[in-house]
Amino acid sequence: MNPHRRPVSIATRAGILVWLWAAAGIALAAPPAAQPAPDAPPADFKTLDQEVQGVKKDVIELNEDLFVLEENLLFPANTQVAVYLSMDVGTFFALDSVTVKIDDKEVANYLYTAREVKALLKGGVQRIYLGNQKVGKHEIVAFFIGKGPHGIDYRRGAALTFDKGIGAKYLELKITDRVPKHQPEFVIKDWE
Amino acid sequence: MVLAALFATGAAASSLIGRPAPDFALKGLDGNNLRLSEYRGQVVLINFWARWAGDSRVEMPALDRLDKTYRRAGLVVLGVSVDEDATRAGEFATAMRVSYPILFDTGPRIGRGYFLGTMPTTVLVDRSGIVRYVKVGYKAGDDRAFIDQIRELLRE
Repeated sequence: MNPHRRPVSIATRAGILVWLWAAAGIALAAPPAAQPAPDAPPADFKTLDQEVQGVKKDVIELNEDLFVLEENLLFPANTQVAVYLSMDVGTFFALDSVTVKIDDKEVANYLYTAREVKALLKGGVQRIYLGNQKVGKHEIVAFFIGKGPHGIDYRRGAALTFDKGIGAKYLELKITDRVPKHQPEFVIKDWE
Repeated sequence: MVLAALFATGAAASSLIGRPAPDFALKGLDGNNLRLSEYRGQVVLINFWARWAGDSRVEMPALDRLDKTYRRAGLVVLGVSVDEDATRAGEFATAMRVSYPILFDTGPRIGRGYFLGTMPTTVLVDRSGIVRYVKVGYKAGDDRAFIDQIRELLRE
């Protein structure tokens, strides 16, 4: 027996017993509550799940807003130049890497994995460069390295002089197949 | 002074632990390009090695055994040569006859990102792309430490 335990009188024990019995009686007398379907989640869980989904959605939206804000701050429209790369067909050219120079300064150098090339061939467009350039005339030069027809090493360049105005400038490097000549074609397109 | 420099390099490489592994894309010995971020979801062991580092010669066969044992469980082993001469590094790697991909980093950018100094340096990256373990240098038997770490990361 625990020596520190306080002795409990018989009267107190009887009181507790009566109280428990009364509580049990009330519980048994109460009408049975509607039972939820066995598979349905409790209402509280449903609400919590909806709240979590709502918070997740808010976080995604906030992240998007921050991303746009960051880009607008880092690359304001009056100096922004974005260069995209797309590939059509690709029968005569297996892309390995692309180097982009603006005004003779290398701004991008990208090595493509097989998975990335596959994504481009499926219609994907890659933003290869996003940066700031002053208003005025600039020259963009792109070097395309890969395997050409019959698996031979291929290195071709394309150049374009563009006018950077006060709005954002979008340029596209396009790799297409020139079917009559069985050769790939590399073009830089200025999206006015 | 040399020891202090080596210690500083090791400490710098270890500072990557808990941080996202710097991404890279490199050309492989087989001519294919590989990008680290494409292995997200798998445990990746990156072994930076050099022809002139004697320990690399000992470490590579041990890593090859690890690759063969744990590949099916989700481990990817990448050997990254930091030799400036990719041709000679390729010859060396071919002679070592390892089955995991060998990549060539001839520029300073990736080495800088991983605070490389002493060769070899081995980095273990978890399924989320976070650096979890860094080992600078190699002594025979060190691969046992890798096994414990690899098993732990594969279980996550």
